[in-house]
Amino acid sequence: MTEHPADSHTMLRYRATGGYDQARRALGMTRDQLVEEVKASGLLGRGGAAFSAGLKWSFLGPARPTYLVINADESEPGTFKDRQLLERDPHQLVEGLIITAIANEVHRAFIYIRGEYPKPARRVQAALDEAYAAGFLGSGIFGSDYDLEVVIHLGAGAYICGEETALINSLEGFRGEPRLKPPYFPAAIGLYMLPTIVNNVETVSNLPHILALGSDGFAALSSSADTGTFMTSLSGHVKRPGNYELPHGITWRELIFEVGGGMRRDRKLKAWIPGGASAPWFVPEHHLDLEMSKDATAAAGSMLGSGAVIVMDEDTCMVRAAERIVRFFSHESCGQCTPCREGTTWLEMILRRIEQGQGRAVDLDLMIDVSDGISIGLEWPPKMTTICPLGPSAVSPIIALRDYFRSEIDLHLANGGCPFPGGLAAIEEEE
Amino acid sequence: MSNWSEGTQERARHVLSLYPEKRSAVMPLLYLAMVEDGHLTEQGMAEVAVWCGITPAQVQAVASFYTMYKREPTGRYLISCCTSISCMLLGADQVLHALEDQSGVPHGETDHGGLLSVEHVECLGACGGAVAVQVNYELIEGVTPDRARSLVDWLKTAEPEVVNGDEMQELFGTRRSFDWAIREESGAVGPYPAFQSLGTVGSEEK
Amino acid sequence: MTDGRVTISVDGVQRDVPAGELLIKAAQDQGTYIPRFCWHERMKPVGMCRMCLVQIETPRGLALITACTTPVADGMVVDTEGDQVKKAQEAVLEFLLANHPLDCPVCDKGGECPLQDQALAYGPGESRFVEIKRTFEKPIPISDLVLLDRERCILCARCTRFCDEISGDPLIEFMERANLTEINTFPDLPFSSYYSGNTVQICPVGALTAKPYRFRARPWDLVRVESSSLFDTAHPRIEVHASQNQILRLTGVDNDATNQGWLSDKARFGFEYLDSHDRVTAPMARRDGELVEVGWREALEIVANRLDLIKQEDGGQALAVIGGAQGTNEDAYTLAKFARVALETNNIDCRLDDTMASHFLAATVDRATIADLDTAGTILVWGPDLKEEHPTLYLRVRRAAQELGVRLVVIHPRATGLDDRATLKLAYRPGGGFELLDEIAEGAHPELLHALSVDRVVALVGVASMADGPALAESVAALVRQKSPSCRILPLNSRANTFGALDMGVAPDLLPGRVALAPAGVGALGEGWGPIPPRPGRDTRSILEGLESGEVRGLLLVGADPVRDMPDPGLAMEALEAAEYLISIDTFIHDSNRDADVILPAAAFAEKEGTVTNVEGRVQRVNQIRPAAGQARPDRAILEDIATLMGAGLGLGSAEAASKEIAEVAPAYQGVTWDQLDWEHRDGLVIPLTGAQPLQHIPVALKGKKAPRAALTLHVSRVMYDDGVRLRHSPSLRRLAPGPVAHISPSDAPKLGARDGARVRLVTQRGEGEFRAVIDPGTPGGVVYVPRNQPNAAILGTDPVVRVTVVK
Repeated sequence: MTEHPADSHTMLRYRATGGYDQARRALGMTRDQLVEEVKASGLLGRGGAAFSAGLKWSFLGPARPTYLVINADESEPGTFKDRQLLERDPHQLVEGLIITAIANEVHRAFIYIRGEYPKPARRVQAALDEAYAAGFLGSGIFGSDYDLEVVIHLGAGAYICGEETALINSLEGFRGEPRLKPPYFPAAIGLYMLPTIVNNVETVSNLPHILALGSDGFAALSSSADTGTFMTSLSGHVKRPGNYELPHGITWRELIFEVGGGMRRDRKLKAWIPGGASAPWFVPEHHLDLEMSKDATAAAGSMLGSGAVIVMDEDTCMVRAAERIVRFFSHESCGQCTPCREGTTWLEMILRRIEQGQGRAVDLDLMIDVSDGISIGLEWPPKMTTICPLGPSAVSPIIALRDYFRSEIDLHLANGGCPFPGGLAAIEEEE
Repeated sequence: MSNWSEGTQERARHVLSLYPEKRSAVMPLLYLAMVEDGHLTEQGMAEVAVWCGITPAQVQAVASFYTMYKREPTGRYLISCCTSISCMLLGADQVLHALEDQSGVPHGETDHGGLLSVEHVECLGACGGAVAVQVNYELIEGVTPDRARSLVDWLKTAEPEVVNGDEMQELFGTRRSFDWAIREESGAVGPYPAFQSLGTVGSEEK
Repeated sequence: MTDGRVTISVDGVQRDVPAGELLIKAAQDQGTYIPRFCWHERMKPVGMCRMCLVQIETPRGLALITACTTPVADGMVVDTEGDQVKKAQEAVLEFLLANHPLDCPVCDKGGECPLQDQALAYGPGESRFVEIKRTFEKPIPISDLVLLDRERCILCARCTRFCDEISGDPLIEFMERANLTEINTFPDLPFSSYYSGNTVQICPVGALTAKPYRFRARPWDLVRVESSSLFDTAHPRIEVHASQNQILRLTGVDNDATNQGWLSDKARFGFEYLDSHDRVTAPMARRDGELVEVGWREALEIVANRLDLIKQEDGGQALAVIGGAQGTNEDAYTLAKFARVALETNNIDCRLDDTMASHFLAATVDRATIADLDTAGTILVWGPDLKEEHPTLYLRVRRAAQELGVRLVVIHPRATGLDDRATLKLAYRPGGGFELLDEIAEGAHPELLHALSVDRVVALVGVASMADGPALAESVAALVRQKSPSCRILPLNSRANTFGALDMGVAPDLLPGRVALAPAGVGALGEGWGPIPPRPGRDTRSILEGLESGEVRGLLLVGADPVRDMPDPGLAMEALEAAEYLISIDTFIHDSNRDADVILPAAAFAEKEGTVTNVEGRVQRVNQIRPAAGQARPDRAILEDIATLMGAGLGLGSAEAASKEIAEVAPAYQGVTWDQLDWEHRDGLVIPLTGAQPLQHIPVALKGKKAPRAALTLHVSRVMYDDGVRLRHSPSLRRLAPGPVAHISPSDAPKLGARDGARVRLVTQRGEGEFRAVIDPGTPGGVVYVPRNQPNAAILGTDPVVRVTVVK
């Protein structure tokens, strides 16, 4: 998926490497064949929830017309894989989109790209323009009688729009507030209250490969129960951060110390976040030799989520790191649900207070209890008190503080503020 | 009826034609309103309301939900510094401080001349190239405090018509999240995203 | 599990509940109250406040779900009290209180505040929030009537949902995001909804407060009584709240059959006139050309003697009564009897020359009920803009079209409040209604004919424009009946208790109980009333003409102001000036009784008890909460005394006695007692109960005038706020009247050289005057729209030809 030459974003190059052959082939297949092929491939959605893509398609309601929406609202801290797929291989996405559309008998598709990604959006638009010109999109694609229109919808700065029902609201021209569940899947009731398939960029970009390799060939790319390859966005204190397309089944140690080249300045590894800012943290003492797979990660109480791995070294202030993640969720809360709107902000305020030297001995217990109010019982996966998982996501760093870094809070209390270099001086109170 | 220029109205009609329902056009139209007035004015929101057949209050409810619709006058160059976790780990706070210090503009504000706005933002999806900074949403990766200062000076003196990411990356960036491929000549012309259907893509043909 | 019911377990107790009902409602009806803030029974659930989290058993273990968004399913096991549920509820409350200002001692809501109550019942008791609370400028006025305190707001979205789902004017919205989310309006575009007060009532905290009530009382000091509002022909159910004999506020009561809890702002805030210093509080008689206060006995004797004298000289036909639509049925019955028995005349009319024939209004066969709207196949509205004149019907029709999927057709000369929900809207030139009707009858507008071809057509017909006159409505009804024989028709009339007054015989051709004034009908009443004049009398227009010609010498005005309310005020003014003897029973001095010989102070709403009958024929109770102002007395009592002094006692005695006599002698009202209405039928009873409606009126097509051929035609119609007597004396609402404005279409404005706000001069056959131009996309080209009866507005009459010039 990520083997791209310098001009891989152009139609010329994409065609030269077999591009659009699979989309053309898909036109000759039935919906059932396509859905079965994707089900059999074991492809899991790559937006964070890791739900079977084929199963998701099979929920499509009987009503017509249906819509397809590609979720390119990648915004989870640590995650930048979709940006690469959009920028470097937009035709691969377009081809995957065509296959998805055919499999679901959809004639109208939207690509929702976050507003802060104008360059990816330009590249995808250029690819769409080329595809229209080549007759791969528009009325009668590939000379068939199948029509397919695609429109790019630019976001405008709201992480929550990555949640698929919020994305649909946003696309309809409403505030990007997640919708009530049930219905759990927009395939039942989605855009304009009609059945809608929402798929992530990486998920859809896999499809040409699944058709090319066959579901068995695709599954064989991985040695673990999770099929195919997956993309990891590695960031933080490693020597070689970046996007890596990896087979499932490697360990965290291999990821950080081989793929990532080890710790920057050879500092000691203190903790990492295994699956985007929402995921509960891992520490070397317990988790370094676990396999990077959906099940193994879940068994250890976390998730692979969006595939973002954020590595933190021994000089990192855990209070500050926690504050930064909680701040993110507090800032990105849509504001509907009381526990998320009020609770995440409260946690952020307490963390900032501790960091700035006004912490109190009761604050950790208070944070745990506030977290308990957002995510009852503090279980994983969380028992939510909210419409969507955003609020409970903010709890993960607090749990990490409780389980592994209690002493750092004590250090802040004793020190009258952050004992680590480079505190929060530059960031003042939010307006 | 419309207060917009004929060109913007033409674009608005095109945008409306892309969606099955008028209301869906509210987000792209809000961008057009910003292009028309430099930032999102009350008049701009009222205009969008007419185009979409909803009330101005409904338009503002949408506009105020998203961070990129700037309802205060914004500088010609909007400098956005990511301070989310991955960038923070690599010194984003120091980069932001350098931007504020060199420009004299505290985050969230705009200088008196209307040239520079500075803001800190949440994750820009460039975590492998931390610290990430955008100027008018065109990205620079691997920004250090010193390079941030140079960026501010350059914007003040060069005042580029078109803000080009590749050019800025060469001048002020270091490590990138991934190889960006061949250089592009296009860029942003104002504090809003440069995108074809908004008519906001500038080209720096020299 | 029986048909349509399922069994669920709530806290270990098996409950039999309706299938598909939301858990929160099902549990509540079974006696288990699940706390909530955002859920409201009349609106769609949003599950936002998260207060109603309960635990249910699922195949994947115990799960917390919001009871307000979860329908019950057979076998559902619900825990509303477990540790995790308690934890969740305590947490939500603590979160809500974290930023709440806790200014309960100075908050209007204190004492009736769900947040306060639930903090007491479910809250942790102390706050652990030591951070700085969120602050906002407060309170900010968001309209002339409503103030917003964003610090108290808990963002439950009840107010915004009401505007979006119920009233159809989304002028307040969630703004900003996350912890900065707030309710607000668009800058300089106030929350000027006719229904804004409902948001104050349903606000679960003191975030929205109403100016007329702010800081006026504590809820525990209020005395309350249920009643029905006469500011809306559907007679929405209300609760009247008073303290120390002063009426302080009205709130909506959820009557499923009518208002479902909602009120227009006119019905909600239109009570201030009751305590106006301008009330007439003592009898007044003219001495040496001046009205001076006199004692009751003296006033009544003057009146009785003079009426008796005229009757002796010229007979009952020289006397007349106009009015009676503002009071109770008991007042109206007494008035009808007074006219026939004491004055010996049938010259009596509660209508003011602006509405349809009495038989059509009172006795249309297959009259629709309001509830019929919910199940209609098509609703046709050809009449007034319901949003302006019939607020409850407007909300019910909107709900039917928006939420229940009913096809809606609107026909009106200009934009109406329902157009956005109409599947078909036809506009026509004012005065051209009959022509349009002919076109339709001949097959034009097939989409309309198609809409009328379905089952369960409900047609709401009334006066769409003064230019068309009232006759059009009956012709519309006749056409609808022809196209859809099974249709139901609701004739509309916007004045207070007109339908009650007609049912009580306050019309020249009707007797109580929907009996036509004909020898047969008279016979039925004969025993109670004795001999009465056998032939129908004069209607209002004819009475006024009679006053001018001298054939009618004495006029009794009962709560009527024809100078303000008639389409042709000129006739009213000239006639009243010519009247030899004018008596007024009223609450205020106004343009029609200023020159009266005697004014008798009337008890007003909430100062008397009785029954009223609404637009669908529903009889409900109105109640007294305080003594009448000054020496004022109910119309009924005044009329009885006059009759007695004239030697023609009516033998009624009390309101309840009057109601008993109605139940005995008025066929359609047989058997209706106050007891029934107070207890088993609190939502009222639709008359007739037994199908015993003696008079059956089938609408007929009447001929009408043709549309004038003129460059501009004038469309005059009523709006919510005008210069009516009661509104004029209600300070909070008085200022909301648009004033003398003329709406001009954007296409005509440039031709006339008129900009928005320009002064323009309108000239018609019957009058002329200056107006402020409003450039209005809702008004079609060729039409000038002027709201009727506005303060300081010139009188233009009914002729639709108008000339408009800009005043330099």
